[in-house]
Amino acid sequence: MAENNGNTYSLWHEFKKGLWQDIPPFRLVLGTCPTLAVTNSVKNGIAMGLATLFVLLGSNIIISAVRKYVAPQVRIAAYVVIIALLVTVADMFLAAKFPPISKALGPYVPLIVVNCIILGRAEAFAQKNPIIPSIMDALGIGLGFTMSLATMGSIRELLGFGSILQFKVLGSWFEPWIVMILPAGAFLVFGSLIALVNYISSRKAEGA
Amino acid sequence: MFLNLTVVGAVSGVILAGVFHVADPLIQANKEKELKEAIFVVLPEAKDYKIIEKTIGQETFKVYEGLDANGTPVGLAFKADGGGFQGNVGVMVGLNLDYLKLKGIKILDQVETPGLGNRISEPAFEEQFKGIEITPKVEYIKNRKPEKPNQIQAITGATISSSAVVSNINRAVEKVLKEFPKDEVGRLEKEIRPASATAREKGAEHGGK
Amino acid sequence: MDKTLEKTEIKTAPEGGEGAAGAERLIVSSSPHFLDAESIPKIMHTVVMALVPAMAASVYFFGWRALLLILVCVGACMLTEWAFQKYRKKPIKVYDGSAIITGILLALTLPPGFPIFGAILGSVFAIGIGKQLFGGIGFNIFNPALLGRAFLMATYPVLMTTWLEPRTVAKAVDAVSAATPLAMMKFEAKFAPLADLFFGNVSGSLGETSVVAILIGGLYLRYKGYINWKLPLGYLGSMAAFSAIFWFVNPAKYPSPAFHIFAGGAMLGAWFMVTDMVTSPTTALGQWIFAIVGGIIAVIIRLFGGLPEGVMYSILFMNAFVPLINKHTRPRVFGGSLKAQG
Repeated sequence: MAENNGNTYSLWHEFKKGLWQDIPPFRLVLGTCPTLAVTNSVKNGIAMGLATLFVLLGSNIIISAVRKYVAPQVRIAAYVVIIALLVTVADMFLAAKFPPISKALGPYVPLIVVNCIILGRAEAFAQKNPIIPSIMDALGIGLGFTMSLATMGSIRELLGFGSILQFKVLGSWFEPWIVMILPAGAFLVFGSLIALVNYISSRKAEGA
Repeated sequence: MFLNLTVVGAVSGVILAGVFHVADPLIQANKEKELKEAIFVVLPEAKDYKIIEKTIGQETFKVYEGLDANGTPVGLAFKADGGGFQGNVGVMVGLNLDYLKLKGIKILDQVETPGLGNRISEPAFEEQFKGIEITPKVEYIKNRKPEKPNQIQAITGATISSSAVVSNINRAVEKVLKEFPKDEVGRLEKEIRPASATAREKGAEHGGK
Repeated sequence: MDKTLEKTEIKTAPEGGEGAAGAERLIVSSSPHFLDAESIPKIMHTVVMALVPAMAASVYFFGWRALLLILVCVGACMLTEWAFQKYRKKPIKVYDGSAIITGILLALTLPPGFPIFGAILGSVFAIGIGKQLFGGIGFNIFNPALLGRAFLMATYPVLMTTWLEPRTVAKAVDAVSAATPLAMMKFEAKFAPLADLFFGNVSGSLGETSVVAILIGGLYLRYKGYINWKLPLGYLGSMAAFSAIFWFVNPAKYPSPAFHIFAGGAMLGAWFMVTDMVTSPTTALGQWIFAIVGGIIAVIIRLFGGLPEGVMYSILFMNAFVPLINKHTRPRVFGGSLKAQG
């Protein structure tokens, strides 16, 4: 990837690619662990997505800023330290300010450390690009990830509880599908959404 | 080249220490608040509590003695853990001071099946344990109204989760009866720490920073 | 489920034939030979006939609602099959009978009071996800009816474990909820009398309660040559033998082997689901392994697992191993090296 010269078009492109073209769980199939584990409600999905966005943004900025000073031999070690720092901060912030969300997300916040999206963007983008494009990249991928988790969460919450964001949408006639809140439901929804995304892109490709 | 790794590590360490300094009191306060609320639910008269600890070999047993507004003990509260249908079922148990009856329970953590096993967290199920006798032990029965003073009714279709709650309680009660005999409780008061005082301390600490 | 395949396979693919079993099946199912084309309605007829005693018993014990559930499942299965084949522009083969049999078997594993919308959902899942997504007939890894039931079990755990006392549904609107013999064994250590289990006068799924009705159907199929005797014998035999160990040690705590094979879904599973040709191994050794390990798993789940019944999961679990079993039990080509068989 060439050094980005930072003009408006390509910045927009760096942002936009995370929202569809490279949307993390469905197209890159990265970050599947949180995608499957914490999306049994919209709220958890969004919280997880935003925590990841925060870490991704921070790591992209820092890594892009120090990219010229870190020796290539130790870059991965240095990146992991930076990412671990950000994750710990995010984890403590949630535990201090939002204890119920922190309890619901459980070990999956600390596990952002090993989320491939973070290290992947550091390796593939931030270490080769200046700060501004790296921010756009992080925002795009992070928002794409948050969107994906929120989509997973809304489908699972709607079918599993009959509600969206704890607001009852389906009436009492609806018998909730418990399976959707269980891990099995995560796999079913994830598979269906990958199929849907592939279907739409293949239709797009045909049309073009 | 190791220099920059060292720098990264050192800077990260300093930042983390700073964040921890700010966040840790809040996290501890959250945990304590949660614990306090659970104790006050299972010991309804309690307005305060103190911690009683006893260490036997490697294990430390901890019970909480509930105190009413005048500082008179009203009962013991302790946590009972054990496996349920899908994972740990943690129960806060309130025991009457006469060591004969339960004062109440509250399910703290559970990951049972939504809509089925997780109904053990519903007040209707928890309420049943109020005034239940612990001798010879708590029992559950199915599809019928309880007949004996030591029986509760299991949730239909969620026998495994219901029985997990009951057996966790029995195990913890047995341990408490053994390790904290009635006449010893007073002696064992290792650390008298009324919660309100703790809260005041915390507040002062915060103001000082 | 798919007796058409079973029959054709018996004819066209002698056990341990050189060609991969899957390929053999594919050819047969996608372009039936003249002989098969003629006999498909007959085979379907035979399997449905074999299920008639179990269906009749379900109507006798649980009333007309049982029949309604069966019809709904069959209809929903056929409609789903038709919709998938239509959408994917494949030849419409709804009338080959496999969807009908899936529907009947799914219905027979449901509790009598199960709601209609749930039965439809389970049928759509069984055929849609369980069969058509894998590529349709002959490609499904798991038994579609059991997969549909497993989905319903996870989706509506309360409704799927709300049982009715036999012969009460028709009389009262608020039917008495009852515990199945297996649940009573597990949670109350009470063992139902064998005679009740044998005739089916116990609560349970529609078609699983009456041992005698299932046996009539199973033996009829065996007589017609559509069932490989190794599978039901291995499954029920290993259940009996394995549970006998515990029974000898402590008969007060563990039920007898007869109880195990008469109670719950053991009979229905052994005769109509373990024997599903698509989802069971093709070699003789493989079939023994499949059936025996399956029976042991069922008993382990029943005695030591969280659930009272383990037949469904034991069969689904073993279904997943079928490709592996086939691969490692395929007979060596004469003169071929041991290594080449990997």
